[in-house]
Amino acid sequence: MRMFRVALLALAGWLTAVAAQAADPVNVYTIWPENYARPMFQEFEKVTGIKVNFIRFSSGEALARVIAEKNNPRIDVLFGGPVETFAAGIKEGIFEPYKSPSFAKLPARFKHVDGQWTAIADDPLVFMTNGAFLKGKGLKPPASWDDLLDPAYKNQLQMADARTSGTAVTRIFSVLEVNKRDEEKTFAYLKKLRQNVQVYTKSGGGGTLPVGLGQAGGGIFFIVDALETKAKGYDVVISFPKEGIGSSAEAIALIKGAKNQAAGKKLIDFATSAAMQSKLADHKVNFVPASPDVKTEASLAEVLKGATIFPIDDDYAGANRKRIVDRWIKEVLP
Amino acid sequence: MASRGFASEGRRVLRDPLLLGVITVLWLLLALFVLYPLTVLMVRAFSDEGRLTIEPLMTSLGDSSHRAAFFNSLILAATVGVLGTLLGFLFALTATRTGLGRRWLTLLDAAALLPLVSPPFTTSIAIIFSFGPKGFISHHLLGFDNVSAYGFVSTALAETLTYFPIAYLTLRPIIAAIDPNLEEMAFSLGGSRWRIFRTVTVPLAIPGFANAFLLLFAASLADFATPLILAGNSFPVLPTQAYLQITGMFDFKGGAVLSLMLLVPAAVVYLLQRYWVGRRTYVTVTGKVGQRSRTRAIAPWASVALVVATVLVAVSILYFYALLVFASAVVAFGANNSFTWHHYAVIFTEGVPAIRDTLIIALIGMPLGGLYGVLVGYLIARRRFPGRQAMEIVSMVNYALPGTIVGIAYLIAFNDPPIALTGGAMIIVACYVFRYSPTGIRATVALLSQIDRSLEEASSSLGAGSGETFRRVTLPLIAPAFFAGLGVVFIRSMTAISATIFLVSLSWTLITVRILENMTEMALGPAAAFSVFVIVVVFAVVSVLSAILARLRTATAGAAARSLLGG
Repeated sequence: MRMFRVALLALAGWLTAVAAQAADPVNVYTIWPENYARPMFQEFEKVTGIKVNFIRFSSGEALARVIAEKNNPRIDVLFGGPVETFAAGIKEGIFEPYKSPSFAKLPARFKHVDGQWTAIADDPLVFMTNGAFLKGKGLKPPASWDDLLDPAYKNQLQMADARTSGTAVTRIFSVLEVNKRDEEKTFAYLKKLRQNVQVYTKSGGGGTLPVGLGQAGGGIFFIVDALETKAKGYDVVISFPKEGIGSSAEAIALIKGAKNQAAGKKLIDFATSAAMQSKLADHKVNFVPASPDVKTEASLAEVLKGATIFPIDDDYAGANRKRIVDRWIKEVLP
Repeated sequence: MASRGFASEGRRVLRDPLLLGVITVLWLLLALFVLYPLTVLMVRAFSDEGRLTIEPLMTSLGDSSHRAAFFNSLILAATVGVLGTLLGFLFALTATRTGLGRRWLTLLDAAALLPLVSPPFTTSIAIIFSFGPKGFISHHLLGFDNVSAYGFVSTALAETLTYFPIAYLTLRPIIAAIDPNLEEMAFSLGGSRWRIFRTVTVPLAIPGFANAFLLLFAASLADFATPLILAGNSFPVLPTQAYLQITGMFDFKGGAVLSLMLLVPAAVVYLLQRYWVGRRTYVTVTGKVGQRSRTRAIAPWASVALVVATVLVAVSILYFYALLVFASAVVAFGANNSFTWHHYAVIFTEGVPAIRDTLIIALIGMPLGGLYGVLVGYLIARRRFPGRQAMEIVSMVNYALPGTIVGIAYLIAFNDPPIALTGGAMIIVACYVFRYSPTGIRATVALLSQIDRSLEEASSSLGAGSGETFRRVTLPLIAPAFFAGLGVVFIRSMTAISATIFLVSLSWTLITVRILENMTEMALGPAAAFSVFVIVVVFAVVSVLSAILARLRTATAGAAARSLLGG
């Protein structure tokens, strides 16, 4: 009986909480982790007074849901996540083209031609290695893609699985670019790299903690995750290959058939402009701003200094993504 | 003959309006929440531009990596089934036959139940930290340098530790219900202890073994979270492949086909179990039970060996969880090990919506699931009506299917009118009830197969209707199964993730989903704090349940149920 009373009380509490909520919030699935996304949404609420209802999913899960909900959309905006995810979404016809006021200002690689998606940040890949591991093996931080093939790294690398992670897709296309899009050379390299890989993780940041703890010697991650690991106090070293490494834009899109399009558009206006991106540094979120109006924060710029970073060609990646990933699954993964 | 039997069964049901009503309602529910979503999914998997085709299935079967995943799944499930049943039997024997004091038993139960009441990733994460290249056990304790924590062995170990409590819960009441007088009599007649164990105790426990193995096999077959973290890349299994196919490659069709492949072994094991168990009788509660006596059927040295083995297992489980508590209370695990309440502060501020939603959903699902389990179990074990076997099979479907598929099927089937449930709490409740009540159903069936039918027949012949007989005779006898079913639904509501990750919404989210997100966000602290919170809540609720049941004092049922729930 007591249990039922508790249940009733809880239910009553919840009902009042729902009734007290302001009208017309904007509903969002965020692919950015909650600790990055929440402060951005709080800034948005401060500016517009519109409440953001959000829940976080990894890119694959978020996209699978939006596709399944196509006939009866539950959200207005898909927020954050690598452009590859959005490219896959366009094929499913789940987005409503929208061009925010910042759209015209953005360079071509930061927007879809028709406005199906717009970039809100840029996220380069980095090599991240465990400091104690390097010292123990007498290694320098890897400064070339070939350094990762050193037998000292055998069974010591963790990086993302291309079946689930945009990080992995960006990584594979980076190797393709470094090898002048020669697929045979690229796959020969990837197969050699496989020898040193301990495990391919489901999410892009999945290996950061093991590397931080020394369970793995190193790996390839997005800079935002690598810097977060370092900031937590783990002994990790960030380095870049001299041949260059790819960078993936993080995007936002309006959902087709969204119930609250007006608020959704306001959130896109906010996220694609300096209004949000100038706040990234304040909250120690280490994405590189996409908006030309916002300068990269000094300490982040310091990390990036001297690094060769190139964007992944959107058209080329879009046209070849499935084929390359399939080949990776068949030839590299087993 | 058969058709006449069918017709007479049908007539008997028609004469009993209560029975007819219950059967009709159950079938409607099963049709809505089991058959309909599965059909929608099948149509999605096997239709190509409006026409049906088995081509996707053939493509999948032809793919060597999918075939490997299929066999890996079977090997893993069988290993976990055997090891988990053995471990469960060890614990059950120790609990019922070694004369351990109540206090020690409670402690042992608590350790055994920990894996069952914790979110799915906890053991996996603890194993990675313990057995990796710099793991606490493999490196710091044993000095190995380059071991891998990923692969078949660690996956099987994690799943065995996670699921063996199911075997323990299944076997303990059955062994407890074996009248020690039987063993005692055999002993007085001069049988050796080993012979008695072999020819009396073990055969009487066989329905329990079969049920335990089936439940473990199915649980392992459907588990995607453990292999996702631990299997690495050299040991792919089907549920994980299906999950990756859907969430990674956005290939609903391929994912659906892969998980439908899982139905075959699940069905085979199920039929084997029916056949194997069906040939033995194991009635020991006859209504004429004599005075209970303490058994001498287990030698003192064997008792000691049992206790030592059990304690060793319990200690290793406790170690894994100590690691979790530690991670929840330090600033950054492994980097800054100074104490902090910060992670708990986070879950009790930002995490409150998830906690509130999870508790409400669990509290709604619990009584529904318990009732549903007992009703279906009772109908299957005790009533003859047309479609009985079909009901038994259909009621197991959602349990046997990998959660990913159930989740996706629900999402597709219930997103649009006529039955739009997504975004609400009811869809999550329904998912839990129909996915996790089979434990209650199996427990009811197992318990009823130990209770002589003559008890109910006596009631009927004295003029009681089917409702009254059920309420006054059967219900008290199967109360332990009811509370077991109720407990499992509650525990699963607090800990399951594979299906519900697709069903949570902006207004209804769950703690387990937050834990998974926290893990992928590298927020190990809040993830561990959430897990500790879940474990504490589940233990508290389970204890309250046991206390209520103990106060009901339904003769032996109270004691049995207390032991079932481990408190």
